[in-house]
Amino acid sequence: MKTVAQWFSEQGWKPQSFQKKCWNAYAAGKNGMLHAPTGSGKTYALWGAIVNEAQQNQSLTKGPYALWITPLRALAVEIQQATQKMNTALLPNTEVALRTGDTSQSVRAKQKRNPSFGMVTTPESLHVLLSTKDHQHFFKQLQVVVVDEWHELLGTKRGVQVELALAYLRSFIPHLRVWGISATIGNEALARTILLGATQNYAVIKTKISKKIIVKSLLPKTMERFPWRGHLGLHLLPQALALIEQYESTLVFTNTRAQCELWFHALLDANPDLAGHMAMHHGSIDKKIRLWVEEALRNKQLKVVVCTSSLDLGVDFSPVENCIQVGSPKGVGRFIQRAGRSGHRPQATSTIHFLPTHAMELIESVALQKGIALQQIEDRIPYLNSFDVLLQFMMTLAVGSGFHPKTLLPVVQATFCFQTLEEERWQWLLNFLVRGSQSLEHYDEYKKVTVLEDGSLKVLNKSIAMRHRLSMGTIVSDAHLLVRYQKGGHLGSIEEWFISKLNPGDVFTFSGRNLELIRIHNMEVIVRKSKSKKARIPAWMGGRMSFSAHLSDLLKNTLFEIEHNKSPEFEALQPIFEQQQKESIVPQPHQLLIERFETKEGHHTVFYPFEGYAIHEALASLMAYRISLWQPISFTMAFNDYGFELLSDQAFDAQAFLDNNLFSPEHLLEDLQKSINVSEMARRRFRDIAVISGLVFQGFPNKPLKAKHLQSGSQLFYEVFKDYEPDNLLYLQALEETFDHGMERGRLTQVMESLQNKTLVWRPCSQPTPFAFPIITDRIRTKLSSESVEDRIKKMYLQLEKASR
Amino acid sequence: MKQLVIAQHYFLLHPSGGIFWEETQTWLLADVHLGKVAHFRKNGVAVPRQAEGAFYSKMEKLFQTASPKRIVFLGDLFHSYQNNEWHLFEAWTKQQQAQLVLVTGNHDVIPAWKFKQLGLEVVEQLQEGPFYFSHFPAKKENQFVFCGHVHPGVKLKGSGLQQLKLPCFFHSPQQLILPAFGAFTGLHLIAPKEGDRVYVTSGKEVLELNSI
Repeated sequence: MKTVAQWFSEQGWKPQSFQKKCWNAYAAGKNGMLHAPTGSGKTYALWGAIVNEAQQNQSLTKGPYALWITPLRALAVEIQQATQKMNTALLPNTEVALRTGDTSQSVRAKQKRNPSFGMVTTPESLHVLLSTKDHQHFFKQLQVVVVDEWHELLGTKRGVQVELALAYLRSFIPHLRVWGISATIGNEALARTILLGATQNYAVIKTKISKKIIVKSLLPKTMERFPWRGHLGLHLLPQALALIEQYESTLVFTNTRAQCELWFHALLDANPDLAGHMAMHHGSIDKKIRLWVEEALRNKQLKVVVCTSSLDLGVDFSPVENCIQVGSPKGVGRFIQRAGRSGHRPQATSTIHFLPTHAMELIESVALQKGIALQQIEDRIPYLNSFDVLLQFMMTLAVGSGFHPKTLLPVVQATFCFQTLEEERWQWLLNFLVRGSQSLEHYDEYKKVTVLEDGSLKVLNKSIAMRHRLSMGTIVSDAHLLVRYQKGGHLGSIEEWFISKLNPGDVFTFSGRNLELIRIHNMEVIVRKSKSKKARIPAWMGGRMSFSAHLSDLLKNTLFEIEHNKSPEFEALQPIFEQQQKESIVPQPHQLLIERFETKEGHHTVFYPFEGYAIHEALASLMAYRISLWQPISFTMAFNDYGFELLSDQAFDAQAFLDNNLFSPEHLLEDLQKSINVSEMARRRFRDIAVISGLVFQGFPNKPLKAKHLQSGSQLFYEVFKDYEPDNLLYLQALEETFDHGMERGRLTQVMESLQNKTLVWRPCSQPTPFAFPIITDRIRTKLSSESVEDRIKKMYLQLEKASR
Repeated sequence: MKQLVIAQHYFLLHPSGGIFWEETQTWLLADVHLGKVAHFRKNGVAVPRQAEGAFYSKMEKLFQTASPKRIVFLGDLFHSYQNNEWHLFEAWTKQQQAQLVLVTGNHDVIPAWKFKQLGLEVVEQLQEGPFYFSHFPAKKENQFVFCGHVHPGVKLKGSGLQQLKLPCFFHSPQQLILPAFGAFTGLHLIAPKEGDRVYVTSGKEVLELNSI
């Protein structure tokens, strides 16, 4: 029989040293972590090891022997093909199965009857497997789990899902080996501990491939017409088109799906010859179309693909020559990853073109280039105490074989996320499932999970089990509706809240087409093609990303170099700096600039700490809260990576502000906690929590389930918990997450201390300055008020419906 | 509270969402959705039970303002099929001196005879003089309509990009839509037109709004 090494040379490949290290470490029975960039050959580094071992011991070829977890379905397809290829050559008659949300019922049933050697799956689908009654029997041959792209999962709730699944598998497969594959991240040791658990038997393997990445900013011919704000970047369309011309194939990365749709249209309008040679790829587009795009990219049939993060990950698109990033990628790691999409072969140089959407982003471009040069890659902050995910997991076990609280608790405590879970909270969680978090009352008919005679918990009600199975998974979004042509043919899915704003006859842009809404029926949006040029673009939620801490440091350092930085970006920016200097100042490192001006919207106070979006969100609500203690006042707040704005209908006093030492770190956490409660920032967090924990059932577009009279929004739940059950753990989790994950609590204290030592420069200005513009025009705002609702209502007005409609 | 004169009759808008019709000593209430919390709980969704009790304490408040001869529910009195909440409601009806009338709505799937057993009069709509009472909004030639169903709310705007969403009484020339009286119910935002009047309730006060 051929060995893996022989097969390699047959393909004309030479095993790289990291691949050989993986094979050896695996053969020695180790767990491990492989740090390798996409496109480096990491799949065969691990699969080769697995196949090697199976060749030595034919009894191991029964399945599933190896489980491969990837974050994306698209990636799963790719991995399945690659691993199957190796199996076909080296382990005849063994198969690698694909198990994702797209796998049909009949294929699932076949997989269950006849498990294959390998299985490629996603965290959600793995949990679905755990919800079957005989999953312990199914997994009895399992030897190894590989978690691919672990860095992508780590800082998310899907990462928590992986942690729980691994801890649970280990509980009945003690010898289970776990391997992670991760791109380079800041907190590698933590990432490894979380995945591999307490074991000392592990190897860490790093590739020495250092990919050369070239970043070029697209600059306009003159800065005069360069916008100070905005997020589209269409003013640089001619430059982008020229670039596309130059290369065989280009990926245009956008940060949001709305941006993606807009760019697709703009490119096509500007150069109709691109029709047929360009495509769009984002998460809302129908699976079939996405798969087609991926295939076409591979076969060099497309010149341009406009995409979102949906194409960030490791699918191999080697033909791509060029990448354009529209708008700030908000992190060094993500930028490197996207740059890596081009020249996707070991040792090839990656070029990425940065297309700034507004002037200030040019500074980011310089900062990003530095970050890449220094290899300053962000940490991924893991979630702690995600009770919503835990409740979902407990339900998953309860709808299958059931679980015993005594045996499950230590399993849960073995995860990083729930290492501090104490008995009292565990009891609360059990009580939530069994009694709906109430004490036993005669009248209560709460029904979900039943305690059996032996003390184990199980779901006996079929419709409750069914509803749970349909709503499993932690990637949360708004309720989705399927978009379909009247004559048939699906286009993808769209958020309900966007569609609910449209009337029949309205035209909107979706999947690159202008569509007229005919009606909404049975969770489906029925549309026809429209020739209308005017169309509304869905503004998908969730497009907001915060600057990483590293990038904000880089940004500050970059900004303070204004004087002597001679990069083309800074030269282009000169007119803007001059304007800023004329109207206000460009702050120096020891200064904290605060600008005050009035517009017809009210009184703006803009602060510039340059600490990144997350810290600014916290600072804004803290400042607003502290000011609101002296006087009844209502604020709306906006923030970006440079600074934040407090906007109010009445001006608060500058002198009082300066005298009161509002940046004091004293009572910081206490004040912040209060400001979160008052400003209701946690509401946004609660939306996800309500869905994950199963409070909000959305139903599914393609699986309409009778859930009449059970529809309710997360907002309503937030209200009732706040009013009637403020000690509910899920409600408290929303507050905690806002605090920890949203605001980087740890770093905030440091920032406050450094701000204290700065000189406050309060500048009254006659109009918004170049620095202020991008912030004050942001319409996504948080609110905080210390006025009574009645007083506020008295100052407000209603907007009448426009006569045209 | 806010007093309105419609067709020479006096109506009092209460911050809880009810309307008192002085001439006939009647409380009008829409969309109570009793048993909604219990229905959710029965299906494994853990809404706090305390939210259900809100109806009874809100009724107490209404009675302090005016004790009625009649209470008219403008539909969706119960959210879904019968559950244990029914017994609490039954106990409550036994204590009432006032006549109870249910104008049925789309959620009222409990059969009429069950309500009749509790002494409620069950009708599809009610016509009295210049007034027409129904669950659904309606257009009547010569009558003014009181109805529910919509759970009306409005979005207010103010200086400093302030916004508020509040439940409201929605008063168009020939119709008044009541806000939902139940606790665990949502809002449907309405855009008023020229000639509409909107009275929002903060829970403590009813306030008329200016529009631009």
